[in-house]
Amino acid sequence: MATTTATVSITSADLMPGMPLAINASSQLMQTGTTTGLELMDMGAGKLTEASAADALHEALGTADTANWVYICNTSTNDEQYIKVGIHDTIIGNLGAGEWLWMPWNMGTADNEINIEAETSGSVTYEYAIFKSTYTLPAKT
Amino acid sequence: MATTNATISISSDIMSYPVNISKQMTMKKLGSSAGLEETSGLRTKKFTATDAIVVIEEDEFTNTKASKVYMRNTGSSKSDFFYVAKHASAAASDTAAVTIGKLYGGDWMLIPYLADVNITVAPSTAEAMTLEYIVFVE
Repeated sequence: MATTTATVSITSADLMPGMPLAINASSQLMQTGTTTGLELMDMGAGKLTEASAADALHEALGTADTANWVYICNTSTNDEQYIKVGIHDTIIGNLGAGEWLWMPWNMGTADNEINIEAETSGSVTYEYAIFKSTYTLPAKT
Repeated sequence: MATTNATISISSDIMSYPVNISKQMTMKKLGSSAGLEETSGLRTKKFTATDAIVVIEEDEFTNTKASKVYMRNTGSSKSDFFYVAKHASAAASDTAAVTIGKLYGGDWMLIPYLADVNITVAPSTAEAMTLEYIVFVE
């Protein structure tokens, strides 16, 4: 059984004056509703340009309503370049330069792909990793 | 200007070689190098029913910016979970297009938030479960 662990630390000394913020959490990624670790993953890197509309980063080709996890990082160093991230027609939010997200993804419907879109000019680089409970490769064309 | 840093570390032996991802970010305003300066404060809510509830109201925050939301299921059960969804009213379910995913015991998430729609959660059980969350606000 594979073991995948995701840990976060959030700190700020001055967001709340007089109350330093320190949040720490760690979780082990399990297959849907079990104590068996996830065994499927994809990872990679790419470039987006403003000229293209939202592109599917990953199709929802696994079993619906399962436990899956998504990491996306906007690796641009240009503060004006950000990436809009969505699940099909639901916009999650904007990832600025150097920012990352970590979110569950239950592939609620076959249409619920993860999509990304560059919102500024030039090439915007990104990295991603997706951890999945189940997955079916797309059919050959 | 406040400085709020978040560091993620992911380690895995799914592949035949070790996977280690480590990345620190400073939470910034949209298209800017300026740090976020406001927060909802850390909130904790205990649930004892399966009804979906709005936990983050979009009209508390400025739309189309670069806020962030952190959430964690503080429990330990790997069979009980919260559905998390973006929905105008309280709704989150298995196959809803607006559902983001499920947070089982100990699971956490940190996502950008456009503040265009509310964020709702729905427990999978009426057994007591607790959610902690905070919004970092632009």
